[in-house]
Amino acid sequence: MKRQILVFATLLLLPAAHAPAEDAPVPLPVKPHFVEETASAGLSTRYEGDWEYMVGGGVSAFDCDDDGYPDMLLPGGKDKAALYRNVSTRGGALRFEPVKESGVEVDSLLGSYPIDIDSDGITDLVLLRLGENIVMRGKGACHFERANEAWNFKGGAEWSASFAATWERGSDWPTLAVGNYIDPKADMLPWGSCTDNWLHRPDQPPGHTSRRFADPLPLKPSYCALSMLFTDWNRSGTPSLRVSNDREYYKGGREQMWHVEPGKPPVLYSEAEGWKYLRIWGMGIASYDLDFDGYPEYFLTSMADNKLQTLVETPKDGKGPAAYKDVAFAKGATAHRPYTGGDWHPSTAWHTEFQDVNNDGRADLFIAKGNVAEMPDFAAKDPNNLLVQNEKGNFVEMGLEAGIASMKVSRGAALADFNLDGKVDLVVTNRWSDAEIWRNDTPDAGHFAAFRLRQPGANRDGIGSWIEIRKDGHVMHREITIGGGHAGGQLGFTHFGVGKDEKVEFRVIWPDGKADAWQTVDADGFYTVAPGKAAETWAPSR
Amino acid sequence: MLKSLKSAVSAFLFALLVVVSAGAHEVRAERMAPQKVLHTWYGLVLELVRHTPNYSPPVASRSFAYLGVTVYQAVAGPHTGLTSLEGQLNELKDLPKREEGAVYDDAIVLNAAMTVATKELFNRTGPTGQHAFSRMSEKMHAAVSDGVDPAVTERSARFGEAMAKAILAWAASDGGATVENMGFPLEYKLKTGPAYWVPTSLIRQQQLPLLPDWGRNRPFAMPKGSACRLPAPPDYSEEKGSAFYREAEEVYTTVKGLTPEQKAIARFWSDDPMLSPTPPGHWISIGWQVLDAEQADLPKTVDVMARLGVAVADAFIGCWDTKFEFNLIRPISYIKRVIDPKWEPLLITPPFPEYPSGHSTQSGAAAVVLASIFGEKHAFSDATHEADGLAARRYDSFWQAAEEAAESRLYGGIHFRSAIVRGLEQGKCIGAHVVALKTRM
Repeated sequence: MKRQILVFATLLLLPAAHAPAEDAPVPLPVKPHFVEETASAGLSTRYEGDWEYMVGGGVSAFDCDDDGYPDMLLPGGKDKAALYRNVSTRGGALRFEPVKESGVEVDSLLGSYPIDIDSDGITDLVLLRLGENIVMRGKGACHFERANEAWNFKGGAEWSASFAATWERGSDWPTLAVGNYIDPKADMLPWGSCTDNWLHRPDQPPGHTSRRFADPLPLKPSYCALSMLFTDWNRSGTPSLRVSNDREYYKGGREQMWHVEPGKPPVLYSEAEGWKYLRIWGMGIASYDLDFDGYPEYFLTSMADNKLQTLVETPKDGKGPAAYKDVAFAKGATAHRPYTGGDWHPSTAWHTEFQDVNNDGRADLFIAKGNVAEMPDFAAKDPNNLLVQNEKGNFVEMGLEAGIASMKVSRGAALADFNLDGKVDLVVTNRWSDAEIWRNDTPDAGHFAAFRLRQPGANRDGIGSWIEIRKDGHVMHREITIGGGHAGGQLGFTHFGVGKDEKVEFRVIWPDGKADAWQTVDADGFYTVAPGKAAETWAPSR
Repeated sequence: MLKSLKSAVSAFLFALLVVVSAGAHEVRAERMAPQKVLHTWYGLVLELVRHTPNYSPPVASRSFAYLGVTVYQAVAGPHTGLTSLEGQLNELKDLPKREEGAVYDDAIVLNAAMTVATKELFNRTGPTGQHAFSRMSEKMHAAVSDGVDPAVTERSARFGEAMAKAILAWAASDGGATVENMGFPLEYKLKTGPAYWVPTSLIRQQQLPLLPDWGRNRPFAMPKGSACRLPAPPDYSEEKGSAFYREAEEVYTTVKGLTPEQKAIARFWSDDPMLSPTPPGHWISIGWQVLDAEQADLPKTVDVMARLGVAVADAFIGCWDTKFEFNLIRPISYIKRVIDPKWEPLLITPPFPEYPSGHSTQSGAAAVVLASIFGEKHAFSDATHEADGLAARRYDSFWQAAEEAAESRLYGGIHFRSAIVRGLEQGKCIGAHVVALKTRM
């Protein structure tokens, strides 16, 4: 053992590791660059609290005042949450102002997700709390009102940190999945005390109008979910519910995926269907079709190594085994320990999200990192990752060069174009310190296109749609979802980098399965898209 | 997991409620017996083993040994008829002594000793473990000292703490006190050649083998780590019909044709770190279940915990000594290369060399020790993994359980036959050193 200690000591004396040998090989992608604007942006919310707030800290980014700029709700943990109105100008510095008496200044908030539940065109919010969860109906102008009673949303009294939503086929009211964690009362022996996740379905069966939720259906067994995502993994037309669970607390648990067929009770995928027995410290899910085959890959955050899953076999006609293999190692996406700062301990990963930060047409991967609290076997200085995809489909760590390698104890994050300049910016929440925000000013970024879906009637934002773009002889496929990440999500424009292309050929496949015709728009534009219609150009007013 | 240990903790909480809720009509629960104090603490310890990131099986075995010796020495003396292990365990000497003629309360002594030892041995557990430890220590101290003469409480607690500190000081020099990076070296030169171990996992941390120097740690009862070193495994060969090939073929065909019962056995003894109390914790759990079943007294309880802990700890030292002497390739690497590239074992292959099987060695040693205390034909039920959904299994003897644990590694596809058979033999050798310890006056 003494010899090992000497080795460790020697390594600690080495200069900060840069592009370690275990990173993915060249060619290097376009180097992204961010400018930190935390001090000037006007954000001052910390994710505070003791043991009960070791998880959570999720951000929601959405437009609450109908100006097209993403606003954001930051959780305060044991303290009050804060809603910030985005007052940035196009291409300018990032600027936010707190919204007074918005209605969402609640305490005990772990995270939130935006969703237009009643399809009235105004975004609502689901607040995940230590204690009762709350649905907040958007009233416009960044104000909200409690709607638990009006919508029969039974918020319970658990420790909730994950969420996903879908509109089941035939329903005009969404189905919400809420993931619950440890029994908050079992603080002496919390292990094995995972509480049930819930499925809040419409109170009427498919084919009938609903304006309320049925009482929540417990998803048994539940294993301390920290991320959930409705995703049509096999393109069957019916999304399944992926659940990533924290193995620290469950007994007999594993990663899960549920069949959620309209009008039927949820049923777990089985090993006979190919679903493998995987046990990780599941904390976040990101999805993106990285290999252009039409089926999403899934990145799962954990402690030490993270997972990048791709299907073992391509499904045919929506059928095929739900079997995934881990390609994180091969793709350079394990992100298992700090890449800078000298701390060689394994990492702890939370929120994760794919976005194309350099607009080269290949999705990149952000991971928020931070010790649970003071776990000495995990890195205390754990920089957030920015894994940039190169043209061979491998990931290259560029967090340091990009300027986003924060060593704070991070949890939630959102990658969104806050100043509508066509480049994705970044906000990160931190335990015990203020949220940080970076403006993307990548000098060599490619062109972009951003699409906002609008369909008439229910599910206004077209959750469950796929946006497809033809580029360089392949098709980029992106599923529109609510859920995943860690305790926070986004609603608004969906961003695509398109590299050098000045024209963008795209189409939408709507949740009902109908595919629009391909159409071509100019790059570097924002577009509103409705079924069967030509895309409408949208431009911010400032 | 550990239904009986969970029950012990629940019973403790209930007893506590009775005492704490006492008002005008005070109702006191019966004072907790010293062995119940231990049982409650071990319930927490087995959870901490599962939830402390650097607790691989060797590390867990070491802690079980030091905890066992701590509680044994804390109550050794004429009142229990237990003789000290000083001079018997390597370099164990000069331990604190009780004041002659003074009154001590063993429940308080043991509670104090467990509080200090657990805190130190699990000082790298996460916030939840720390939180649970704090709650347990506060409540246990209040419970055991309730109604006891404060002078006795003070004296007993001081002695328990002193004993734990003395054992921890002894532990500090054994070579296993510092485990970084969860036991995986940051630098290590792998041996090259087809016979040698290669990484079997896609986890970055596991590209180098776990704790390569563990076999050099100071053992407890055996004179040195290599005291029970095994002969070499069958000569490496890729030739069909060779002894090595035949062993690989056996793993290959066994896994392909597993029966439901064989799968159940493999999973029952899988005992994965961070998902279970690990293999040594599994045997500690068995020890408690057997002690519970016969409502054992304090001397027997601490004797079992001390010798069982020492047995599994020495087993991991001896086993690791042999593992890194021969550095043998795992079945998954050989079979994929030589027989069938698509073959997959049932269990996840552990990240270190193959020969011998650690579970076999430590199960053999544990069974030898338990048989020496409870008898060769002692039947028992093992409900260690009930909370994880694995049904209890029944055994006619400890050795039968050890053999099943060893065989489970073949079913799991992670060990060749020689590692299993000789692992058990190595366990017998190591167990004999532990059985030779004199515990009774």
